[in-house]
Amino acid sequence: MLGAEDFIDDAMAAAREKIPGKAVIACSGGVDSMVAAVLVSKAIGDRLLAVYVDNGLMRKGETDEVRGMLSDMGINYRIVDAGDEFFKALKGVTDPEEKRKVIGEKFIRVFEREAKDFGADVLVQGTIAPDWIESGDGVRDTIKSHHNVGGLPKDMGMELFEPLRDLYKDEVRDLARMLGVKASERQPFPGPALAVRCLGEVTPENIAIVREACFIVEDEIMTASVAGRMEMPWQYFAVLLPSRSVGVQGDRRAYGRTIAIRAVSSVDGMTATYSKIPLEVLDSISTRITNTMKDSVNRVVFDITNKPPATIEWE
Amino acid sequence: MKIYVVDNGGQWTHREWRVLRYLKVDTRIVPNTTPFEDISDADGLVLSGGAPSVASDTGRMGNNGEYLDRADFPVLGICAGMQFMCGHFGGTLGPGSTPEFGGVEIEVRSHDDLFKGLPDAFKVWASHNDEVKTIPDGFEVTASSAGCPHEAVACPDRMMYGVQFHPEVEDSEHGVDLFKNFLGIVDSARKR
Repeated sequence: MLGAEDFIDDAMAAAREKIPGKAVIACSGGVDSMVAAVLVSKAIGDRLLAVYVDNGLMRKGETDEVRGMLSDMGINYRIVDAGDEFFKALKGVTDPEEKRKVIGEKFIRVFEREAKDFGADVLVQGTIAPDWIESGDGVRDTIKSHHNVGGLPKDMGMELFEPLRDLYKDEVRDLARMLGVKASERQPFPGPALAVRCLGEVTPENIAIVREACFIVEDEIMTASVAGRMEMPWQYFAVLLPSRSVGVQGDRRAYGRTIAIRAVSSVDGMTATYSKIPLEVLDSISTRITNTMKDSVNRVVFDITNKPPATIEWE
Repeated sequence: MKIYVVDNGGQWTHREWRVLRYLKVDTRIVPNTTPFEDISDADGLVLSGGAPSVASDTGRMGNNGEYLDRADFPVLGICAGMQFMCGHFGGTLGPGSTPEFGGVEIEVRSHDDLFKGLPDAFKVWASHNDEVKTIPDGFEVTASSAGCPHEAVACPDRMMYGVQFHPEVEDSEHGVDLFKNFLGIVDSARKR
């Protein structure tokens, strides 16, 4: 990244100036919020509280992994278990934009609660350029509302501090490597988490299906990439489609769900091409999903669309 | 060297700013409602792409027309920026016969300015519903694709250049080279 050292110095100076008292940071454990947390925590120490919300929509093992990273970095943190609250708010919601709005609203209410409890008057976020660009504004169309931008209520009683606003993911990764942040190579994961990989209604049952499928896709692709059988994609995951289709399992009729595999190459997330995954790798993903998840999934498809015209996530 | 990026609401306006910044240009994104006086110290101008059909919706193109009339420095119009530029100088716009989203192979017709030193054909990324139907007098076509005859235009006399595709995105081949060529044009205009 261009001028990374200066950037770090300037961001820390800005944090000291903008945060005379206490602040909370919304921390998902992704590279953006981890870098923002490390920068601000270096600047103001334990006057920063990192809040990780377990919204019930995270990936397999994610909460424990994030807990480990926050402890390793010596950041003052708190983990809030809010799964029930999120599922309740999402009941009956199927429209992708409404989903994002509901989740954004829920997040902010949790952060407000935590901020009040901690005595913070500043909310730090790891917002990066594509988040506010795609969220739209006076002149720009809304492609999708990123909850850290589009979902912020007007009556939020906190100042906002977003040190990474002008950066793209590749630049944030450079900073992460310089700062020794373990999340530097983690693949991007959307703010609304698995909710936007679960087309249609977000229920604990549907999330459990897409969580397991995402785990299999990640595991198989990671293994194949490490073994040199394919190039590591920028982002790779599973999407649960809301339709059903007919299949046959052991001479018995099946009528189950479909999983779409999505994997793309990109540098900054603003354009992307679908990954040319070797057929043998697609084959192992497909077979493993349909065998181990036979009660719910009987069909697997592969998404071959670039961005544009598609976006990386399906919602 | 100072180049402003005029924000017409494109998804990649900020990418244009980033490419220029990485080329060590003194650059800033400005709203398209900025008075010309406030940007008249520029050495060059980039007119960004915009929201759907923005080029033909003059209300949303702010002061782009004034910039084009008063600029005494080179201007690069990208996507809606090029469409507006062509419309402004007497060309016509309309829905593309084949909209282009994603990768497009372009054929270079002139290597004189923006495409100096670049291959005769290469892959770029586009994202547009509308296109330039007829180019204005004094402009020449500098690149085309199978689906869009007017992928790039130039009018060296007015120091006006346009590309329908997006050289600022990572997936476009030679995008940074094209910007470097524009900086070369800006640089020679400064010395004049």
